Amino acid sequence: MSVSDSTAYASRVGRLSRHVSFLAYNNFRYLKMAVAAVIVAIILYIAVPPYGERYGGGWAGYTLGTVGALLIVWLTWFGYRKRAYDPESKYVRASAAAADTAHLPEDPSRLARRLSAHVYLGLALLIIATLHTGFHFGWNIHTLAYALMCIVIVSGIYGVVAYARYPRLMTQNRQSQTMAQLQAQIVAIDAELRRRAMPLDDRTARIVRDSIDNTPIGGSRWRQLSGNYPDCGTTRAIAELGTRPDGDEEIWRLLRTKLDEKGALVDRLRRDVRYKALMDIWLYFHVPLTFALIAALIAHIISIFYMM
Amino acid sequence: MEVEVTFLSRRGTAVMRRSQRASGERVRLGRGTDNEVKLSDIHVGLRAAALAMRDGALYVDRLDTSPLEVNGATVETAPVKPGDVIVLGPYRIEILPAPEGCDGAIQVEMTQPAGAALEGAAAAPIGLERAGVGKRTYAWSGFLLLAVICLAVPVFFFAGGVVKPWQKDTPTPAAPKIVGLSWNAGTVSNAHRFFVADCATCHQNAFIQVSDKACMSCHDTIASHVPHGAKLGSVGKELAGLDCVDCHTEHRGIQGSVIREAHLCLDCHQDLDKKVPDAKVHDVGGWPKGHPQFRVTLVADAAKKEMVRAELGTNPPPMDHPGLKFSHAAHLVKGGFPVLGYKQMGCADCHIPDTGGQEFKPITYKDQCERCHQLTFDKVALPWPDAKVPHGDDTGVIAAVWNYYAGLALRGGTDAAPMLPSAPSERRGAGMSAPPAPPPPPTDTPAWVTAKSMTALQIIFDDKRGCAYCHYSTTTNGDWDTPKILAGALPPKANPPHVVTPPILRTRFLPQAYFDHSSHRAMTCEDCHASRTAKTSSEVLIPGIDNCVKCHGGENASLTAQSTCISCHYFHRSEFGLMGMTAETAQ
Repeated sequence: MSVSDSTAYASRVGRLSRHVSFLAYNNFRYLKMAVAAVIVAIILYIAVPPYGERYGGGWAGYTLGTVGALLIVWLTWFGYRKRAYDPESKYVRASAAAADTAHLPEDPSRLARRLSAHVYLGLALLIIATLHTGFHFGWNIHTLAYALMCIVIVSGIYGVVAYARYPRLMTQNRQSQTMAQLQAQIVAIDAELRRRAMPLDDRTARIVRDSIDNTPIGGSRWRQLSGNYPDCGTTRAIAELGTRPDGDEEIWRLLRTKLDEKGALVDRLRRDVRYKALMDIWLYFHVPLTFALIAALIAHIISIFYMM
Repeated sequence: MEVEVTFLSRRGTAVMRRSQRASGERVRLGRGTDNEVKLSDIHVGLRAAALAMRDGALYVDRLDTSPLEVNGATVETAPVKPGDVIVLGPYRIEILPAPEGCDGAIQVEMTQPAGAALEGAAAAPIGLERAGVGKRTYAWSGFLLLAVICLAVPVFFFAGGVVKPWQKDTPTPAAPKIVGLSWNAGTVSNAHRFFVADCATCHQNAFIQVSDKACMSCHDTIASHVPHGAKLGSVGKELAGLDCVDCHTEHRGIQGSVIREAHLCLDCHQDLDKKVPDAKVHDVGGWPKGHPQFRVTLVADAAKKEMVRAELGTNPPPMDHPGLKFSHAAHLVKGGFPVLGYKQMGCADCHIPDTGGQEFKPITYKDQCERCHQLTFDKVALPWPDAKVPHGDDTGVIAAVWNYYAGLALRGGTDAAPMLPSAPSERRGAGMSAPPAPPPPPTDTPAWVTAKSMTALQIIFDDKRGCAYCHYSTTTNGDWDTPKILAGALPPKANPPHVVTPPILRTRFLPQAYFDHSSHRAMTCEDCHASRTAKTSSEVLIPGIDNCVKCHGGENASLTAQSTCISCHYFHRSEFGLMGMTAETAQ
């Protein structure tokens, strides 16, 4: 396909034929849906006040609450739906039949459609649920459910941002190598260092040993996320070797070069670990707190009707 | 010395041994190539340790700073015998029994091969899922924790009666309080806060609305909205079906549980005239727009005690007939009455607020009028003590006057009737001038008494100083013709009719509403009441709706005071008896 062909095609479909973010799925269809839902909710909130100040009740309040609760259940269901790969599964079959992708040049995955809906309607939920509270908060399980929901949604927003940002950074960082390849390179350098240091004095051997034995990559969740490795043997080794050779210049230069090379590789590996961790950490809030939220939501609904 | 050195290496279950002899003064072990036993790992020092024979025994000595471990203990030097284990870096050196010709034998094995590095790297916890508890565990724990804290525990506390209704002098323990409050869905009104932790006080049954019974456990004297026995048709059915919670909301803020929105009242009152015409309640469309002009309750006829309800602002204006001749204008005249000690009369000189300041105390002769309008007469004209006629008892006055003259006649006064035989005569004292000659005595005593009484009563009842100055008589047109009025009334009989029409001075002209004067005390009386120009008492000084709307706007007004139905009207009217009678009114 020549450049002129693709531009002709581009002008026909209105954009270049390449990956379309799930956020822009189907011309922002779900964004529009979410905005419409929010507008209706705001109109309902303003136009149908209950007696006294607005709160979770009154028919507007109950409508917003019901819609919010159904949204929460539907949004949680996405966690199950997105794992449905089996083509015989009723969800996969049904949505494959329903997907109207004929007008789109590429075939976006079903997952992209579900994810697009999940994100935009999740954002709409934040507004709908806030209207449902009537902006009244207190130290009780009702506000707890709302707070849990907010944390879930905010962590989801973080997830969207992370997914938009970090993959590119990871690709740039890896420079077309896999993590296993990087690790193997480091191991090779370690072997070289070990070999070179074998005939050297004890101090140098200790320095090199420190770099080989005590260069952690990964570790606790906090370590992986921060990318901060204060206790790094390679850093210490480079510092201890110093800027001037102390003895045989050639061997010093070799060791120093190898250590610097190892340091760069280790940094890249650690950065990769960090990006991956940053891309994954939000799910540790998003998913568990969703289930806590569901428990709190059930308690909220039952308590409201228990204490009528 | 000579030592047999066996290098052991394992590959899976296979074991390989490679033996050699090392000899020298000492058998040195280390990384350096000049050692007798070369241990090629950078964890071992260049010259790490040495085996030596001393006194026929085998010793191991540490040579550099790397730690030397013998049988688990870090030592500088130690005797070793077969079975002992020396650890140097990654090497495990076991002392074996010395073969023939050797001083000792060792088996050297590397326990941490360098090739493990790659596996080690792969085993490092990279990836969040390998570095701790997984999402599923968190999810389940979160779900169960909140299900217990937010649902199971409170339900147990409520269903099990641990959270009880409020009881005076029985404090609720802390745990049920906290649990109860965790379900609190909104700020409780100030008046109910003292039992906010005792939810069961109001919420007596699960999944059932707060019952009237719960409210009435304290609010048992709450009054009805409509008179007992009123026929209200479908509206009555609606009223009878009302629960307390239909109008009184809780958990909606500290300010109170009364719904203030006019909309609640207007649901019935916007077409009440059509639905229940007998109630004679005009339709109200709202405030201020849609509220009918005020209707004052006036005295139509003081003698017949008839009231009438008239709309303000009509032309001609409505007239009150309180049965009193009174001019506000005359009293509020500029300059006042210096002779009586009033430089300038003001409203407060007569209108005294009641306790609370909402309304004013009733006007009475004794409190308001007597200071200036005393019913005193010349001593000569009237035989009264201090010559002051008591106010308020017209038939009593008539009887008293008549009795006085009758008594005089009995005793024989200065120009009394002829003495009765038993009556003593007055003697003229010596040297005193003779009294004027008495007029000829009338022929009969009762007629004399009646005539004297009539004369006195004419003075008492006259319109310059007496009753007629302020009051109307009981004749049809209220005028004063004393002989005509008293014709046949003297001598007084038992239960005589009243001569003076008792005035009816209303204290409330708008009885369907409550106006609180104390909240308006920053204003002056004349801001609303045009008393200075009122020359007669039939002028109604109550202002109409136009006066109020200058300051009082609708319930969401921003430029005027926010006012709603219950700003001036009450739902529960104590004059209608207890609420609950509405069931009887459903026709």
